[in-house]
Amino acid sequence: MKPIIETRDLTKTFGSNGVAVRALRGIDLTVDRGEFLALIGPSGSGKSTLMAILGCLDKPTSGSYAFDGERVDGLSNAELARIRNDKIGFVFQMYNLLPKASVLRNVELPMLYAGVRRKERRRRATELLERVGIPEKAKSLPSALSGGQRQRVAVARALANQPAMLLADEPTGALDSKTGHEVLELFSELHRQGNTILIVTHDLSIAALASRQVEIHDGRVAEASQVA
Amino acid sequence: MFSGAFRERVRNSWVEMRENPARAGLQALGVIVGVAAVLGGFSISDSQRRRADELFVRLGGLDKLNVQPNPVVNDGRPSALQTANLGLRRQDSEDGQDLDAKLVAGASVVKSARTRVRSPYADQERQVSGIGGSYLATEGYEVAHGRAFSAEDVGNGSPVAILGTEAESVFFPHGDAIGSTLRVGDVPVRVVGVFEERVFRFRKSQGNRFAWRNRIIAVPATLVTRRFEGDAYQRLDRVTFKMRNVDAISAFSKELSGLLKANHRQQEDFRLDDVNARMKKRRSQGDVYNIIFWLSGILSILGGGIVNVNIQMASLKERVREVGVKMAIGAPGKEIFKEMMTEALLVSGLGATVGLIAGIGFSKIITGAIGIPLYMDPKSFLFAFVLASAFGFLFALYPAFKAARLSPMEALRYE
Repeated sequence: MKPIIETRDLTKTFGSNGVAVRALRGIDLTVDRGEFLALIGPSGSGKSTLMAILGCLDKPTSGSYAFDGERVDGLSNAELARIRNDKIGFVFQMYNLLPKASVLRNVELPMLYAGVRRKERRRRATELLERVGIPEKAKSLPSALSGGQRQRVAVARALANQPAMLLADEPTGALDSKTGHEVLELFSELHRQGNTILIVTHDLSIAALASRQVEIHDGRVAEASQVA
Repeated sequence: MFSGAFRERVRNSWVEMRENPARAGLQALGVIVGVAAVLGGFSISDSQRRRADELFVRLGGLDKLNVQPNPVVNDGRPSALQTANLGLRRQDSEDGQDLDAKLVAGASVVKSARTRVRSPYADQERQVSGIGGSYLATEGYEVAHGRAFSAEDVGNGSPVAILGTEAESVFFPHGDAIGSTLRVGDVPVRVVGVFEERVFRFRKSQGNRFAWRNRIIAVPATLVTRRFEGDAYQRLDRVTFKMRNVDAISAFSKELSGLLKANHRQQEDFRLDDVNARMKKRRSQGDVYNIIFWLSGILSILGGGIVNVNIQMASLKERVREVGVKMAIGAPGKEIFKEMMTEALLVSGLGATVGLIAGIGFSKIITGAIGIPLYMDPKSFLFAFVLASAFGFLFALYPAFKAARLSPMEALRYE
C-alpha cells in the first residue's frame, strides 16, 4: 500500500526581491497510513510551513509531494481545495470555528462544500458530535462553549468527510493541561480506530503520545525516531 | 442554474445572513434608502403629472384641435383681399368636418357676447356663450336638469338657455330656473336646463379650477350671431374639432390649415391649437423633475453602496478569517465568490423589497400632505428594484473577487 505522504526534496522560499527566506531546505518525509506522527521543532524551524504544504494549504517552491498516491505539488488552487475538503481534516490551535454559526452547522460545513445533501449532513454531523462527546451542544454557538468543547467541535468538523488524514496544528496550545490531555486522548482514540494523524507541536510531552516523532530544524528533518 | 446546488447556496446564504444580522442590516440599509428615494421621487412626480393629465381630460379630452381668429395686423389701409375676408365663421366648421369624416368625430363652435343679463333676482353684466355643434361633448359639459339644445334650437337660434350652477344660483337662487325667463340683452330667453356642477381641485387645499365653468350662460350660437350681433355671416370666436384619433391631429391640422387659408382669401387670420401637443409640452417640462429624481435616487443608491463597501471593510478582519476557515475545510475560491455574491444579491433583494414598501409609505405621506391622489407606475417599482439590485451586485463584486483570490494561509493568519 502506498504511503499517505511522500515528499522528495521539498523546499519553500518566501520573499522574492532581495531578501529570500528559505523556510524549507529539502524535506524528505514518508508517512504511512494509520500512523500517529508528531512533527516537532522550535518556533521558526519551518514546521508550520511544512504543515501548510502537507495540508495542501500552500504550495512548495520545489520538490515533489505525493498525497494519498497522487502528485499534488503542481495542482491548481481549486484542485488543492478539493483535496483538503475530501481527504484532510484540520484541527487548529485557535479552533477556527465560524463564530456566528451553530456548532452543528460548523460541523456540517465541510460536507456542504462536498455537496452532501442536507438531511445526510445533519445526520452525520449529529453522529460526529456524539462521537466527540458533546451531542447536547449542537445548537449552541462556539462562544458558549469551553475551549476543550470547541476543540472537540473542531475535531468533529475535521472528521466530517471521513478524511484520509487528520492534521492538527498545536491542538492543545490554547487549552489548560487537563482539557488538553482530554483532547489528546480523543486523538489517541481516533488513532486506535485506524485514522492517520499528523500532529504539529513544540511540546515534547505531547509528541511522546505519538507513535513516531519527526523533528524539523532549520528547514530540514533533523532526526526521526521510532517509538514502539 | 436553479439546480440543487443553487438552492443550497441560497439557503446557506440565508442562514449566514441571519447569523450576521448587523452586517446584513447595514448592507441592506443603503439599498433600502436608495430604493425608497427612487420610488418615492418617481411616484410623487407621476402622481403630480397624472393629476395634470386628468385636468386636460376633464376639460373634454386631448383629442382636440382648436381654431381661433388671429387678426392680421394692419398697418395702413387693408388690402382688397383683407377687406373681403370674412374671418372664422360657421362655414369653416362645416367645411372642416367634411374634409375628412374618418378623422373628425365632430366640431363645436362658440360665439360669446358680453351683455346685460337680468332675472327677477339679479341684474349683471355677463359673458353669454353662444354654442353650437357638439359643444357639450367636446368641452365636457353634462346637463343635470332639464334638456340640452335641440338641432332646431341651434338651427333657428331659439331663445333658450342652459345655466351653470353658479349662474343658476345667482339668477334663480330658489331653484326654479327651468322654465323661467332670463332677459339676455333685450331678448327674453327661456331656461331649459342646468349643467352638472364642475369641480376640479388640483390639490385638496386649492380652490376649484373649474369655477369659471359653472358661471356659463349657454345659448345657441345662432342666437348670439343673429339676434345680438346681427351678423349674417355667423362669425365665431372658436371652432373645436374633436378627433377620432389623437395621432391624426397633426396631419389633419395641415389639411385644415390649407382649407382655412383658401376660405379666408389667403389670409392666415387664424390660429390652430393642438391640445394634445400643448399637454405633451407641459409633460416634457415635468421631465426635468424626473431627471432630478433619477439623479437623487442614483446618488442615494451610490451613497448606500459606498456605505456598504465601508461596512465590508470594517468587517474585513472577521470576514477574511471566515474565508480562511472555509478555504481550509475545502471551499474553492470560486465557491467563496459565489457565496458572497449570493449573499449580496439576497441582501440587496431583501433591502430593495423593504425599500419598495418604505417608498410606498413615503409617497403616501407626501401626496397625502399635498392633497393629490397617489399614482404609482409599475415601471417605477421595476426600475427602483433593478437599479438597487444592480448596484448591490456591482458593489459586492470587488470584495467577493478579493476574497476569492485570498490564499488560505494568508486568510487564516490575517490580523
